[in-house]
Amino acid sequence: MIQRHSKGAIFMHWFNAVCWITLLLSGFGLINNNELQPVGMWYVDFWHALLAPQNILVLHVTLGVVWVAVYAVYILARFNREAMPFLREISTFNPRSDMVWLFRKVLHLTVGEKIMRQKGMATDLPPQGFYNAGQKMFAVPAVLCSLGLIATGGIMLLSRSWLDGSAVVQWSIALHFLCAALVALGLPIHIYMATIAPGEGPAFRSMFTGSVPKEFAKHHNTLWYDKVVK
Amino acid sequence: MAKYVMVLETAKCINCRACVVACQMENEVPMGKARNWIKQAPDDSPGLRHFQPGNCMHCDDPMCVSACPTGATYKDAADGIVKVNTELCIGCGSCIAACPYDARYRDPQRGVVDKCNYCPRLRAAGEPPACVSVCPTRVRVFGDADNPADPVHALVKEAGLKQIVAANTNTKPAMFFKGHTVPTDWPQDVTPPLPMRIWKFAMTPVTSWVGATTLLGIGLVAIRQLFDRKVHNAGEKESGKEV
Repeated sequence: MIQRHSKGAIFMHWFNAVCWITLLLSGFGLINNNELQPVGMWYVDFWHALLAPQNILVLHVTLGVVWVAVYAVYILARFNREAMPFLREISTFNPRSDMVWLFRKVLHLTVGEKIMRQKGMATDLPPQGFYNAGQKMFAVPAVLCSLGLIATGGIMLLSRSWLDGSAVVQWSIALHFLCAALVALGLPIHIYMATIAPGEGPAFRSMFTGSVPKEFAKHHNTLWYDKVVK
Repeated sequence: MAKYVMVLETAKCINCRACVVACQMENEVPMGKARNWIKQAPDDSPGLRHFQPGNCMHCDDPMCVSACPTGATYKDAADGIVKVNTELCIGCGSCIAACPYDARYRDPQRGVVDKCNYCPRLRAAGEPPACVSVCPTRVRVFGDADNPADPVHALVKEAGLKQIVAANTNTKPAMFFKGHTVPTDWPQDVTPPLPMRIWKFAMTPVTSWVGATTLLGIGLVAIRQLFDRKVHNAGEKESGKEV
């Protein structure tokens, strides 16, 4: 087995997952306007059966602040050891290789290998680093949108006491929704690929144990494996 | 269930402004702000004026409610009054921009929106709103249009009652004018602010459609992968290299 994720990274991943999903679900429950609500007003009614509207907001804002605070502590405490390496990994692109990987991976998932071979297409995927091209495609928007959510959320938190610019607050709430929606659209894919998709078992388990089997790493993250083994 | 409305006979108004002051006192309106107003217009012979009191019209099709992203502002089905839940208001001001009657303002101290809500404290005590009881010439009649025992019930059915609406926007105001009244061309055709329009016409439909398609796509991929599982594992063993 090779060590892939530190204990800090594992904790932050699950802390992030719980907070993010709760914030997403409660946030959508706050859109009490049938013209703006993407899921349907039944979703707002469901939340109102659980909590009074203002208490949904209290939950959302409190959790948001806690999430940011814990993240800030983690990033400062693990800045060089984990935060920067993570950011570097997710932003390392090789356009040609990544495009081929994405194209062939999508075909693998949709039409499947059999049909790919029948059509005479190459089925092999270019070697990937610590994260594959698909993971990077989700991670980069997730990080950027999280920053957007924090900035716009902060503006809304201050909108009653500090700010007098209505346009700033209007743009903030609209962009807050946009950032949440963009990541929300990718989240089911992440969850599917990381948990249920065939062959992903070892990767999913590594989010608890921190390690992956050597053969798995050699196959799925060849470039990282080669670097580590050397 | 009730439907509170107001009927105004503005020819009686003498611009004493007692209604404005009474409202400010009753509702702790900040200095320099007002929930209601008196409009003036020249009338008939030169030198004559007509005074037209007004406030939030508690519309049946309120644009302010459509514009509010948090649901802080809403029309209460129980009494027909358009209200603001200040605990949900983030002070974005979309509702202010969306009102054809410019009936709302931002409270500079609390940072939330404020407007006429028909004096809840007085109504709870069985009294009409402050502007109604203070008027020396009895311009305003307030009551429940759905209650046959209420004088307003018959009043709203009178022929010749007018509503004041913007040229191209009818929000179905629940305020009626009896007899002659001017001005009538002052409400604005307004549109919600740009970020709200982008949200409504682009962000929400795209999110709904892409979201549904994504979930459907994942479902289909999952089903297909279940069937083809054996192929993947066999392929790996066979070639011993990345497939």
